[in-house]
Amino acid sequence: MARTKVILQDALAMVLAGGQGERLYPLTRDRSKPAVPFGGIYRIIDFTLSNCLNSGIRKIFVLTQYRSASLERHLKMGWDPVMSPELDEWIFTVPPQLRLRQSWYQGTADAIYQNIHLLEDQRPRHVVVLSGDHVYKMDYAAMLRCHEETGAVATIAAVDVPVDEAHAFGVLHVDPRARIVSFQEKPEQPEPIPGRPDRALVNMGVYCFDTRALVRALVEDARLPTRHDFGHDILPRLLRTGDVCAHPFVDPDHRPLYWRDIGTLDAFYQANLDLLAERPTFDLYDEAWPIRTLSQQLPPAWAAEGAVLRRAIVGPGCVLQGTVNGSVLSPQVRVGAGAVVEEAVLMDGVVIGEGARVRRAIVDKSVRIPPGASVGHDAEADQQRFTVSAGGVVVIPKGAQLD
Amino acid sequence: MSKILVIEDEKNLRQLYKQDLELDGHTVVTAKSAEEGLRKVETEAPDLVVLDIRMPGMDGLEAMGRILDQHPSVPVLLNTAYSSYQDSFLSWGADAYVIKSSDTGQLRREVEELLSGKRVGARRRPGGQPQAQS
Repeated sequence: MARTKVILQDALAMVLAGGQGERLYPLTRDRSKPAVPFGGIYRIIDFTLSNCLNSGIRKIFVLTQYRSASLERHLKMGWDPVMSPELDEWIFTVPPQLRLRQSWYQGTADAIYQNIHLLEDQRPRHVVVLSGDHVYKMDYAAMLRCHEETGAVATIAAVDVPVDEAHAFGVLHVDPRARIVSFQEKPEQPEPIPGRPDRALVNMGVYCFDTRALVRALVEDARLPTRHDFGHDILPRLLRTGDVCAHPFVDPDHRPLYWRDIGTLDAFYQANLDLLAERPTFDLYDEAWPIRTLSQQLPPAWAAEGAVLRRAIVGPGCVLQGTVNGSVLSPQVRVGAGAVVEEAVLMDGVVIGEGARVRRAIVDKSVRIPPGASVGHDAEADQQRFTVSAGGVVVIPKGAQLD
Repeated sequence: MSKILVIEDEKNLRQLYKQDLELDGHTVVTAKSAEEGLRKVETEAPDLVVLDIRMPGMDGLEAMGRILDQHPSVPVLLNTAYSSYQDSFLSWGADAYVIKSSDTGQLRREVEELLSGKRVGARRRPGGQPQAQS
């Protein structure tokens, strides 16, 4: 354990939180993707930050860019108080400094390159590069130990997914010692894991680097007309200079663990609903790995005599008089008498009027669904009024006015 | 014949480098600060930049970042009296790193090698030693 402590003290996390999140629009109209509310009381970035905290990584830079006010508020109020600067524990949000380039971040690697002075100041032995928009529970300390043991210049967290979904990711091929022998970024025809034709091993976008190897790769890449992207450019470059290892994201029985890149509205919706299963594949109630967030002083949720609640997450301050089935409710949601909410994600302060029906929908903060109104029951009408995802989920943006 | 921009705050060194590089057949323009150098990178379109690090005002490392942002293919040679900057992450982006000396031999050899195109892009390696010359 003492060794692990030393490794962690000499590690620093950089959380990429600057993506525009266009595919999550309109949820990202007023906020960056990591700040999108998730799972009732959380923001998406809480999962990555909780992983850092639970793993013992207490030096965290969050690299922001677009529409960061909401995220900064959340981090300032929810996460600053957890860290102890006197013990050299901290979390800093860093907007683009425009020191090395007079431009926005051109890719994931450019975001780190443009902040190379942060690494220069800290000089950590290892840098853990993380995404602020993934939902998973992972012990980065175990990954760092694996990284030290193998002596690799970089270690990539890898999870196996169905081969027909692998085209959206970087696909890894490893030798028996988990060293990566080849890498295809978003291939049209992903190669399966040998002996398992239905599964492929993919890059989770969770990296552990030797700082010097990372910096060298970044400064070299910065001179070239590349996409300045970890998957496209930095990993292939590192593969040419030394060993890059995969760290499998599996349970003790070698089954793949839950990891979701919240890249699309449908992924966001499904990951919320995943929390509702009887035996959830992603367990928020695991006391060994608490997920923390900014908690508000609110009264408990209350349900009326005739309220019906099945398979639901209900945040504090909710007032329920109607029926809620298979849904995720953030704090201070009101569901009026006779209203029916099914398979929906309702964010803070949403009001469902009496007798209204809401089905397969994401309703952003403070939207009021008028009494008797219907959402998610008439595809044609919904499409004329709202964004509808590829999977048919209706999305009502923050502040929308409904008749 | 190539055009070289020398950014150097010490007048005597500016003149020495200009004279010696001109003897090698190059056109040499000079700037006495990073700020002036950044302007001349735009107006003179040099084929190579020789850049001092420690200067009043903006230092050479920051200037290099800005030059490479706009002109990533222009070779930059860091020329400094201090070996300690070799450990600076930003200096690793340079194409060559030369310790100042009254003898301009090494500077001129590195300039020739960079201009001949044998070395392109960031080639510095951590640890500070230039790559073995082929």
